[in-house]
Amino acid sequence: MAEVQLVDVSLRDGNQSLWGATGLRTAHILQIAPVMNRVGFRALDFLSSTAMGVAVRTHREDPWQRIRLTRAAMPDTPLQFIGTGFRFISWERAHPDVMRLVYERLVAAGISRFVVLDPTHDMDAVLATARIIRRAGGTEIIAALTYTISAVHGDAFYAGIAARVAASPHIDRAYVKDPAGLLTPERARTLIPAVRARLGGKPLELHAHCTIGLSPLVYLAAPNLGVQVLQVGCGALADGSSLPDAERTVANLRELGHTVTVDDRLLAQVASYFDQLAAAESLPAGQPQPYDAAFTKHQLAGGVMTTLRRQLAELGLEAKFGAVMDEVSRVRAELGYPIMVTPFPQMVMGQALSNIIGGSGGRKGSPPRAGRASSARYEVVPDQVIRYVLGSFGKPTAPVEPWVLDRILDRPRARELAAEPPPLSPAELRQRLPRGISDEELLLRFGMPSGEVDAMLAAGPAPEHYSPQLQPVLRLLRELGSRPPVRRLVVDKPGFRLELGRA
Amino acid sequence: MIIRRVLVANRGEIAVRVLRTCRRLGIETVLAVAGADADSVPARLADHTIRIVPGGGAAGLAAAYLNVEAVVDAAAAAGADAIHPGYGFLAENPRFARACEAAGIVFIGPGAEVLEAAGDKLAARRHAAAAGVPVLPGGLVTAEAGEVAGRIGYPVLVKAAGGGGGRGLRVVGDPGQLSGAVTMASAEADAAFGDPRVYLERYVSRARHVEVQLLGDGENVIHLGDRECSVQRRYQKVVEEAPAPRLGETLRVSMRAAAVALGLHLKYQGLGTVEFVVDTEREAFYFLEVNARIQVEHPVTEMVTGLDLVAEQIAIAEGRGLRRSQASVSFGGHAIECRINAEDPADGFRPSPGTVAGAAFPAGPGIRVDTHVQAGSAVPPQYDSLLAKLVVSGADRPEALRRLRSALARCRIDGVATNLAMHRALAADEEFAAGGVDTSYLTRWVQREPPSVRAEIHG
Repeated sequence: MAEVQLVDVSLRDGNQSLWGATGLRTAHILQIAPVMNRVGFRALDFLSSTAMGVAVRTHREDPWQRIRLTRAAMPDTPLQFIGTGFRFISWERAHPDVMRLVYERLVAAGISRFVVLDPTHDMDAVLATARIIRRAGGTEIIAALTYTISAVHGDAFYAGIAARVAASPHIDRAYVKDPAGLLTPERARTLIPAVRARLGGKPLELHAHCTIGLSPLVYLAAPNLGVQVLQVGCGALADGSSLPDAERTVANLRELGHTVTVDDRLLAQVASYFDQLAAAESLPAGQPQPYDAAFTKHQLAGGVMTTLRRQLAELGLEAKFGAVMDEVSRVRAELGYPIMVTPFPQMVMGQALSNIIGGSGGRKGSPPRAGRASSARYEVVPDQVIRYVLGSFGKPTAPVEPWVLDRILDRPRARELAAEPPPLSPAELRQRLPRGISDEELLLRFGMPSGEVDAMLAAGPAPEHYSPQLQPVLRLLRELGSRPPVRRLVVDKPGFRLELGRA
Repeated sequence: MIIRRVLVANRGEIAVRVLRTCRRLGIETVLAVAGADADSVPARLADHTIRIVPGGGAAGLAAAYLNVEAVVDAAAAAGADAIHPGYGFLAENPRFARACEAAGIVFIGPGAEVLEAAGDKLAARRHAAAAGVPVLPGGLVTAEAGEVAGRIGYPVLVKAAGGGGGRGLRVVGDPGQLSGAVTMASAEADAAFGDPRVYLERYVSRARHVEVQLLGDGENVIHLGDRECSVQRRYQKVVEEAPAPRLGETLRVSMRAAAVALGLHLKYQGLGTVEFVVDTEREAFYFLEVNARIQVEHPVTEMVTGLDLVAEQIAIAEGRGLRRSQASVSFGGHAIECRINAEDPADGFRPSPGTVAGAAFPAGPGIRVDTHVQAGSAVPPQYDSLLAKLVVSGADRPEALRRLRSALARCRIDGVATNLAMHRALAADEEFAAGGVDTSYLTRWVQREPPSVRAEIHG
């Protein structure tokens, strides 16, 4: 029987998967941070550059300050940042020195654990990023082995990556990251031992989303296969398209005889806090998911599908939904099986959509190998796809279908993008931005429109206190304040009566 | 280890303060209560309460919180894995710390050896000297008190070796008064601390009281800045602030370094304070004593550092070690605390027990109120008279003072006499506003206030 540790993802991946990354504010996090610090989690998945952008854009909150305050409120549990190593907030590729500055500022603010996730498994890029993070002061660096089903992603493929991780002095451990929740217990029984065998004794973690209900079962098999850490969510931020529920996982693992050293009472307190917060803020709580066989083909997360349906409805093309979904599988194969993890689902979906509804009308569903016969396919190509083919996001896992490659690159826009000047260095950025700003502000202004950063600064410091129980009262007060003077207010319920009146 | 359930062995505002942090950390709380405290605000805030057996009668009520065995038994019965003693009562009692250890309960405070070293004022003086901290000339009073005093030079201060808090303290101006003062002080010390030993120290006539907050894990010690506590009456602090205003940077840096040196010498584990007397005429400082507990005035330090000192105490008790370096402690702004007591300035500051008829406290940015008092709260005569601490902070001292005046104006406590009006008048006083007053300031101020202000204070 094994000793299993937990990493909680509620604050980052839970919030991103279930609440579009916009649910949690600084105060929401600070209120529960001291308790989360004591549960016994090995680390917390805390932040990504996307989440930092959302803090600025949606909440007008300083994400750097959020790190510092959270660090102060939970000094004992490492906080994790996840990133690709080549971009910061914006989708553009960043100068390596900009990325170096990002990591240095993150470490200074209180991040110590870093996940390097290259969506194409370009291990040379991963190792280079890991070296930069280590130099910036990152103490624990984890490489992502992003799981997917495709013609090229076999056990041997992942074992090969594990061997590169084993050989790197700058990568401390690895995790199997299953963003779409495709891993079955059967596949885990071959995949995980194959990875472990080549990992050189470095610890292995597992991070599998619950999208089609498989991961809670995979988690029960994982400890006996050699996984030391399971990544989980808490309360309303578990299940659904997030990760398995911490309390349920702990109970099941213990039932199987494994040891999980966490404080159950505190874990329940954290779960209950997120439940109450979800209720108070009208945010959906994650629910256990039914199995969905079709999902294994398109691998599109729920959020992307919802967006597609909305876009088609706006165009009056709801009937095309099935055709677009088929096209997604085709485009993905032609582009060399990019893993359906940000930014690729949006990219593949965009291309599939324009292949089906864009162009000059030749919208006959053509089989993958006869694709070149269709004039409409790849007639319109989004910039994202051109950049991908040009290698801006790393080397594609498998070669791009040659005719698709030619078709995409043989256009003026592709030549324009290929001739784009290289990204700006911090010194060059500094010349273009207001004088005397801090590195933190410089990086925000690099990654986002300046107006957003100005608005954040104008909003002042973020609130630091939050209570779900108080929200109904605050809402009542806000509503009362927005109405003509109320002369008499009575709240009457069993066992409670509050009466306010003017003297 | 992780502390899951804490017995809070105290009452009043500090009980509320400790309960708040425990709740924030997700720690279950059990409050030890005696007598009418079972109906107090802290009793309602705690997850559970447990009665500690009073020794009988009114005196017995206060004795309950001082009863080592009763408190340890209560903690064991409540299934607590740690005890937070607050300040006063058992907070610095080495026998209590040992009893906790024997019962397998974590005492949230320094070890018994440090409590002994700090509690015996003469031992503490020796440790300070050994750590290279300046101490005032002085020594234990034996048969040759006159000789010691002669060597130090008059005026001298007669102090109790067994405890602090102003009890057993006497200032002696000339040799003729010495023997009587020593006898009186010794009797008072014996009554208060069960230890008749007294010692002499040179009396600094123009003195400020400045202290340095320490945090240590037994190996490493850092300071959390200094506090000014010179506004005192009969050695009882009334107003405190952080940082100490108008203190030369060299002096400030030396005092902080001296405090850390003493902490390292003592292998200090937990939260503690090194008190100094600052000789304003000589620009020098001398060791006064070590307070091995959380102090009443800790909120001013919390407001300028952003730290939760009770949480730090708990972390050290859990063996987590110091979680921050000296360099990572940052100081920002200025904070001032007023102790609002149930006492009547018109009647020689006599305690004024009773029942609070109504209480309204201010709220807003930079305002914090630590209190256990609301309408209906009992103010029993057996305990100290502290009702509330009004703490304000600002970007600088002038802003903190402005907030203080405005916050005090919005403070109201009915049903018992309080020193609120005195605080309002103090906050408006020019000498106080200038900063850096000495320990004789408050007594002088009370005497010199014009009748109109005195009427306001006393009304």
